Amino acid sequence: MLKNSISIFWRKRSNYYRIKLTKCRKCGRISYPARERCPYCGSNDVEHIDSSGHGKILNYTVSYYRREGDAENMPRIVALVRLDEGVVIPAEIVDSSPEEIKEGMEVEAVLRRLNSDDPYGLIYYGLKFTPVLNK
Amino acid sequence: MAKTYIAGVGMTKVGRHYEKGFKELSLEAIDKALKHAGIGINEIDYLLVSSAFPELTLHQSDIATILAQELGIKVRALRVDAGEASGAAAVALGNDLIRLGRVRTVLVAGVEKMSEYPSAQANAAYSSILDYEYEGVRNVSLVNYAAMTLKNYMERYGVSREEVFKWAIKMHENALTNPYAYLSFKVSLKRMMDSQIMSDPITTYDAFPICDGAAALVMVEESVASTLDGKPVELLDYEAINSEPPYLRGELTELPATRKAFKKLSKRTGIVVDEETAIQVHDSFSIYGLLALEALGLAGKGKALEALDNMPYLNHGGGLKARGHPVGATPLYGLAELTLLMQNSYPGLNYSRDISLLHTMSGHDNSSWLIVLRR
Ligand SMILES: [Zn+2]
Repeated sequence: MLKNSISIFWRKRSNYYRIKLTKCRKCGRISYPARERCPYCGSNDVEHIDSSGHGKILNYTVSYYRREGDAENMPRIVALVRLDEGVVIPAEIVDSSPEEIKEGMEVEAVLRRLNSDDPYGLIYYGLKFTPVLNK
Repeated sequence: MAKTYIAGVGMTKVGRHYEKGFKELSLEAIDKALKHAGIGINEIDYLLVSSAFPELTLHQSDIATILAQELGIKVRALRVDAGEASGAAAVALGNDLIRLGRVRTVLVAGVEKMSEYPSAQANAAYSSILDYEYEGVRNVSLVNYAAMTLKNYMERYGVSREEVFKWAIKMHENALTNPYAYLSFKVSLKRMMDSQIMSDPITTYDAFPICDGAAALVMVEESVASTLDGKPVELLDYEAINSEPPYLRGELTELPATRKAFKKLSKRTGIVVDEETAIQVHDSFSIYGLLALEALGLAGKGKALEALDNMPYLNHGGGLKARGHPVGATPLYGLAELTLLMQNSYPGLNYSRDISLLHTMSGHDNSSWLIVLRR
């Protein structure tokens, strides 16, 4: 398995350290993340907008599925979050135990460690979500 | 335009093959397929190899050339990758080449070795079918989508956790008569109810097992088929389409690409499928098997579990759940099982319909492929 790459990650940093969205001027739909084309209609007449980073849990699962590189923090809570802009983003929910999580719960983006090669390897950081009540 | 036929099929037993690498498994499947077809390796015009993760799990690029070298043949060789649908994509490409008159015989070999590393590494390789930059890096895997989908399905249609295991029970039963199946044993509902959670509510009994395998098909043009002693089965047509990533769809409990592809295919060919048609659906996770039946019009929304009782030829080899899912080879196993069934040489089953259908997809209906066979 290949290890983490600095350039692959750095190139997309605006999508990892902030939540950027694609707004299509042709079909009017907004989507996550920032892309050069609208994923719905293929138009390149798009603009990139910032998300507030605030939304609600639409669906979630408590995951015990281990992948090389992300073996820590088990179990994980993997969710679909509907942002205030109406867009759905796949993301992890942190700082909460599975019993505390509910659909419809308000969440906001926080910067966290995503994964790492090994204890001495390259670490990726990016946004996850935390319940607003935790603040 | 020339017609395409499947003249021979070969499979290896799906499992964890510590003694055999991808070369040994592939050669075994290829030898069986050639023998079944009654064709020599030197009559092959084109070698297509379907494999999803050779770079990640075998340190091997250009696997088709490497395999041609191992076979000791000099041909056009190409590796085809379309994620979990790789095998269907290779067969579709072989079909197009034959119909265009470019070649007369194509050998399609599918192979995957998922057991060479601990499961966390196999899981990482398998997770690479999703978008690395937007999903993979965020620690989202396919099982997580499948889990959220099953959750929605159970809530919306009032289906219990226990009822969903009906799929796995049927697949394990079907695998009993398949000599190439990995998990050919019965499992009690009790054991399933106590099984380990992978991603709530999905347990190990809703998921395919990590495994190795190779399967091969010999595809030939009509004029070649007519000279063979066996009973070649026609590849009538195929269709494939992709869709947006799951998080952009608004609805998880539908397979839009499968539905669209089937609509196009049935309109073009006039085929009609019902509960007694032999159908192979992609059940990497049981919920996807259920949703595929609904997308193919074989059950109403939320009704797929009820339809199972009346489907004697559904995933008759045990499906991805029990036969196993050696990814790049999986659609070839499905087509091989259908071919044997249509030649009336599949153990314990008699089939009288003219057509059969293979459904396969990569990820959560990220792309879906359908292939129709006819005799
Ligand atoms: Zn658009």
